[in-house]
Amino acid sequence: MEYRELEMATPKSEVGASAPSARSRPDPRNGAKVRSAAQGRLEQIIFAAVILVAMAALPSLHIGYRFLSIAITTGYTAIALYGLGLQFGQAGIMSVGHAAMIGVGAYVAAMLYVHFGVGFWAALPASVVTAAITGGLVGLPSLRVAGQHYIIITFCFCALLVVCLTNGGSLTGAATGLDVGSVGRVFGINFDKLANYYYLVLIALVLTLAIYYAIVNSSYGRTLRAIRENEQLAQAIGINIDLQKISVFMVSGAFAGVAGILQAYYLRHISPTLYGAFPSLYLALMVMLGGGRLMFGPLIGAIIVSFLPEVMNLNPVDSRIAYGVALLIVILLLPGGVSAGLLNIYRWLAARVGAIRQNGRGVVTALDNEGRGRR
Amino acid sequence: MAALEITGLRKAFGGVVALDEVDLSIPGDMITGVIGPNGSGKTTLFNVITGVFPPTAGRIEWLGEDITRMRSHQVARKGLIRTFQQAMSFPGLSVLENIRIAMERGAQRGGDSGRRWPSAEALLDFVGLEGRAEEEAGSMPFGNLRRLGVAVALAANPILLLLDEPAAGLSDNEANTLSELIIKLPKMGIGVCLIDHHMTFMTALCSRLVVLDFGTKIADGAPASVLKDPKVTEVYLGGDL
Repeated sequence: MEYRELEMATPKSEVGASAPSARSRPDPRNGAKVRSAAQGRLEQIIFAAVILVAMAALPSLHIGYRFLSIAITTGYTAIALYGLGLQFGQAGIMSVGHAAMIGVGAYVAAMLYVHFGVGFWAALPASVVTAAITGGLVGLPSLRVAGQHYIIITFCFCALLVVCLTNGGSLTGAATGLDVGSVGRVFGINFDKLANYYYLVLIALVLTLAIYYAIVNSSYGRTLRAIRENEQLAQAIGINIDLQKISVFMVSGAFAGVAGILQAYYLRHISPTLYGAFPSLYLALMVMLGGGRLMFGPLIGAIIVSFLPEVMNLNPVDSRIAYGVALLIVILLLPGGVSAGLLNIYRWLAARVGAIRQNGRGVVTALDNEGRGRR
Repeated sequence: MAALEITGLRKAFGGVVALDEVDLSIPGDMITGVIGPNGSGKTTLFNVITGVFPPTAGRIEWLGEDITRMRSHQVARKGLIRTFQQAMSFPGLSVLENIRIAMERGAQRGGDSGRRWPSAEALLDFVGLEGRAEEEAGSMPFGNLRRLGVAVALAANPILLLLDEPAAGLSDNEANTLSELIIKLPKMGIGVCLIDHHMTFMTALCSRLVVLDFGTKIADGAPASVLKDPKVTEVYLGGDL
């Protein structure tokens, strides 16, 4: 939404009036600077916290196993999405092969269990490290090719991984896949119970969000945004863009590794088709739908895509059509994703309420897809 | 002593020789201007110095260290910072964030950046962008974008600042403000090397002018004497008058 449209919503009483207005209005040519970065961050944290509290309350609502299962899927998918959020939202490098990273994490955990009897907690670091290294390796071509060309490479890697897993013999369980054990009991908590496993995923998700927030607001996060905005200038002020790109692929891979092992121990059986082209495209869809740049964007994307078919009672074919339509609507109307749209609506409402309370008129700024006020 | 010492620098793009046996030393305590007609190799000179692409032959020494084959970010970390002909910024980020990104890089080199400008706000004041910290860089008018480009380069803590046509596209008024800013830099311990076409702008600023034509250096010295040089007048005015 543009500044102009929002201004239209306020009474046009002073059109042509020569007396200067008591409230100074930002000059549209100079760009608005109404909302500080800190305020924007606080709003985002509140939004994310509201969603997380709602998710934490889910099991106590007696929603049934099916609904809870979808919630678990949403949880671990969102963890992977935050990695993709850093890579795409912050560093500006899209990938349509991200399910392959989850696959690496899941298969490392499964293979360790099947062949060496290693359990969940010991396999967790192995999954994370392997997925991170794989992420870095798959990121290497991005130093040579950019944009759509790199996206195609990630797609190819995803296809390659499925081929390898399918032909991996007893090592990977071939097309049938591998059976995984259970997390079992830790500190007297039985993680075989669905609600408890859900809380495990939720805790991992909260930690992921905390790490994501810390990265985005750190010097490292700013470096990634610098690369996204202008590689040439980034180099000219001393940023080693090759190194930083590989690093973000590794961080992104590590997040996917956590998602992978959580998925493997939730499903208890994994197979190559889980990590092919379609799951990868869904991940990209979720990030774009939710919005990659705001803190709660990936989470909203995961929730929408996971729950849409359930809530609207769609079959798999219809749901794909629904996703396509949803993506079109978001790209055309909400370039920053649903998250930016929601924050926009919230700010507009808050400003309206404030204006009415003061019995004056408040000029509302719109929000860009970075989460800052803009003209 | 010269801070930047260039010897026998040559850069060929296929058959086109953009720089041909250029010898040049640029001191770190004054403003040196590089002028020359379009296509004379000025920007190529900057690109080769800052490691955007390697030279075909020759040697570049910076504070006694060979930087000929170094990459852009390595050169920048040595305190050799350049700006671009097109006003460049991180367009989607706020002005403050633009500066902070560069300051964090500049601080890594150590030195005295912190003493010059203790905060991003102080630097914004210095370049005349006060009160614009929260604006989106890409939505600023062109003149401010130019200032921001210089501010980002200064934030990166340069020893020698290479400015590629900083006054291009500015009004006379804006160019004057910019030259007032540039002229302060050597006193703050920042050497400046400047490319521009704007003759009055250059003669007012530079204590030394280097003239390039078809990739070779044809004159080097004080502005008054360089502009009287018959070779220079020929290049600019087309021979006999």
